[in-house]
Amino acid sequence: MWSDFFTPDLFASAIRMATPLALAAIGGTICERSGVVNIALEGIMLVGAFFGVVVTLATGNVWVGVLAAILAGILLSAIHAFASVTLRMDQVVSGTALNILALGLTGFVMEVIYGHPGATNGIAHKIGPVFNFPAPGGGVLATIWLWIDQVFLSYTPIVYIAIIVAIVAQWAMYKTRWGLRLRALGEHPRAADTVGVRVQASRYVAVLISGALGGLAGANLTLEQVGVFSDNMTSGRGFIALAANIFGRWTPMGSYLASLLFGFAEAIEIRMQSFQDVIKIPVQFFLMLPYVLVVIVLAGFMGRAVGPAAVGKPYEKE
Amino acid sequence: MSETHEASVIRERMWMKALRTAGVPLLSVVLAMAIGSIIIAASGKDPVAAFGALLTGAFGTPEKWAIGNFKAIGDTISRATPLIFAGLAVAFGFRANLFNIGANGQLLLGSIAAAGLGLALAGLPSLIAVPLILIGAALAGASWAFIPAILKAKVGAHEVITTMMFSWIGLYLTSWIIAGPLADKTVSSQTPMLPEQVWLPTLDKFLPALLRVPVRAHLGFVIAVALAFLVWWILKRTTLGYSVRAVGYNPLAAQNGGISIGITTVYALCISGALAGLAGASEVLGVQHRMFDEVSAGSGFGFTGIAVALLAKNHPIAVIFAAILFGALSAGSSMMQLVANVPDKIVTIIQALIIFFVGAETIINWLIKRRQKLALEQKGATDVE
Repeated sequence: MWSDFFTPDLFASAIRMATPLALAAIGGTICERSGVVNIALEGIMLVGAFFGVVVTLATGNVWVGVLAAILAGILLSAIHAFASVTLRMDQVVSGTALNILALGLTGFVMEVIYGHPGATNGIAHKIGPVFNFPAPGGGVLATIWLWIDQVFLSYTPIVYIAIIVAIVAQWAMYKTRWGLRLRALGEHPRAADTVGVRVQASRYVAVLISGALGGLAGANLTLEQVGVFSDNMTSGRGFIALAANIFGRWTPMGSYLASLLFGFAEAIEIRMQSFQDVIKIPVQFFLMLPYVLVVIVLAGFMGRAVGPAAVGKPYEKE
Repeated sequence: MSETHEASVIRERMWMKALRTAGVPLLSVVLAMAIGSIIIAASGKDPVAAFGALLTGAFGTPEKWAIGNFKAIGDTISRATPLIFAGLAVAFGFRANLFNIGANGQLLLGSIAAAGLGLALAGLPSLIAVPLILIGAALAGASWAFIPAILKAKVGAHEVITTMMFSWIGLYLTSWIIAGPLADKTVSSQTPMLPEQVWLPTLDKFLPALLRVPVRAHLGFVIAVALAFLVWWILKRTTLGYSVRAVGYNPLAAQNGGISIGITTVYALCISGALAGLAGASEVLGVQHRMFDEVSAGSGFGFTGIAVALLAKNHPIAVIFAAILFGALSAGSSMMQLVANVPDKIVTIIQALIIFFVGAETIINWLIKRRQKLALEQKGATDVE
C-alpha cells in the first residue's frame, strides 16, 4: 500500500500544489519587506485565475491569457498601493475590501459574459509540460528514470518560473541595491527617506510586483492545473501564502520552501482521497489538512518569527 | 455681537463634527452606489431600472403597505438579522484592535450547534429550549475563536490568518457533521427539520393586526437589537468593556494601567466568536429551521459582517442601521436580478466599495474639510467687512 501511496507523482503533485502558494508568498514577502501588508493576495489570485480563463477563451491563445492574469493582478494591487501608500488607509481593511471586490467582480462578469453563475466554460487546451521525454524500456534504470522524469522534468512552465522567481528574488533582495533599499523601507522608512530612497514610489513598485506574482499564481491555477474557473476557487490560498511568508521568515527562498510544505499537505490530502476505501476517514477531514497544518506551523513557530518593524504602518513624509 | 458670533462658530463646529461622523459612511454608500451604477451600465443594463427593482424588492410598494402586506420589509429585516449579530461580532473585535476576518467559521459552528441542540432539546418547552440553544450556539462560536485568541495572546500569531484558517476548517467540519452524524435521512446536504417549538416565531405572530400577510422577519431581530444595546452598554459601562477599548486604543498604555493585554485579547475574540455563533443560530432557528451544507455557498454573512462593522464605525447601535442597509441590498438583489436582469453579485461589489470608501475616510474627510475651510474663509471675509 505504501508503495502505491508514495509514488513519484505524489512529490510532483506537492511541487505543483506549492507553485501558486509560492508565487503569492514571494509576492507577499516583497510587499511586506517594503512595509505594506497585502492580504489582498487572495483576491489578486482570484482575478488572475478568472481573467486568465476569460481572455484565453476570447483570444484562443493561452499565453495572452497568462498576460491578462498578470495584468489583472497588477491592476488590483494598484488599488491596494494607492489606498495604503497614497491614502494611508488601514492596509488590512483595504485588502479585505479588495478580496470581497474580487469575489463580486469575478461572479458578476462571469454571469454577464457566460450567462450563468458558478463556473466559466473550460478552456480548450491547458498549458502542457515543458519537456516530453519518451519513457525508456524496463528494468531498474527505467524506474530511476521514471522518478527523475516525474519529480524534476514533468512540469508546466509556471512551475519552473516559480522556482526561478524564488532564486532571483532571493538574490535581488540580498545582493542588489534594490534589495537593500527594500529591506530598509520595511525596517525604518524614515532612515531610508533621509538617505534619498523614494519611500512611496518604492512601495508602489513592491506592491505592484506582488500583484504580478499573485496574478501569475492565479494563471497557474486555472490555465495549467484546472482548465476552468469556478467561484471562490482560490479557497484561502492567499492566506496560506501569507502564512508561508511568515514561516519562511520573510525571505523568498524561505517562502518557497514553506509553500512546499503546505503544497505537500495538499498533495497528501488529494492522494488520501483516492485511498478512502482503505483509510475510511471522511473526506472532509482530508480537506481540512492544509488549513490545520498552517495553524500548527504558526503556533509552533510564531514566537521566534519577527517581521519587518514598519510593516503595516503608512509613511508620511515630514 | 461677539456672543452671537461665538454661538454661530460653535454651531458651525458641531455641524462639522456631525457631518464628519455621519458624513463619511453616508458619502461612502452614495459613492459605492454610483460606481455600482456605472458597472451596471457598462454591462449593458439599465441602472435606474435595476435600483428601482432593488428598492421595490427591499421595501415593497405603498399599495401593498395599504393592505397590510409588509412582506418585502420583512425580508429586509430578516436578512438584516444575522448581519446585526455578525456586525456586532466584527465590531467588538475591532474595538480591541482584533480583526475577526474568520467570523464566518464561528457562525457556522453556531449554526451546527443550533441544528444539533434543536433536535436534542425537542421535548422541552420553548421558553427553556430556545434560550439553551442560543447559549449553546454562542459557546460553540466562542470555542471556534478560542484557539486563534490563545495563539494571538501567547505567540502573537496574527488573527487574520488563524481565524481565516479556522473558518475553512469549520466549513469542512460542519460539512462532515451535516453529511454524517446529523444527516437528514431523505435529502442529502442538510440536517433534519427542527421541531416547531424551537423555531423563533415570525413577527406577524405577535402583530397580526398590523402584519396581515406572513413575513420572514422573526423574533431574532428583536433579540439582535436588544443585544446591540447590551454590547453598547458592556463597552461603555463595564470594566471588561473599558479593558477592551483601552487595549484597542493603546495597548502599551493599557498594560501600564494594569490591564492584561493577553487576557483581554482572549475575552474580546471569544465574545466576538459568541456573537458570530448567534448569527448562525438565529438563521437556523428563525429562517431555515435546519442547516444546509455551506461548502458551495462561497462567502457568507461573516464577510458582510465586516462591511457592517466598518460602515457603523464599530458603534454597536450604528451596527443595527448598517445591517438594515445591507439587509435591504440583499433582499432587493433577487428582484433586481429578476426584473432588470442584473446579476445579484453587484451587491457584493457595492459591499466591497463601501468597505473601501469607509476605510479610505482620509480622502472623504479631506474633501469635507476642504469644503468647510472654503466656507469658513468666505465667512471670515464677510465678517471682516
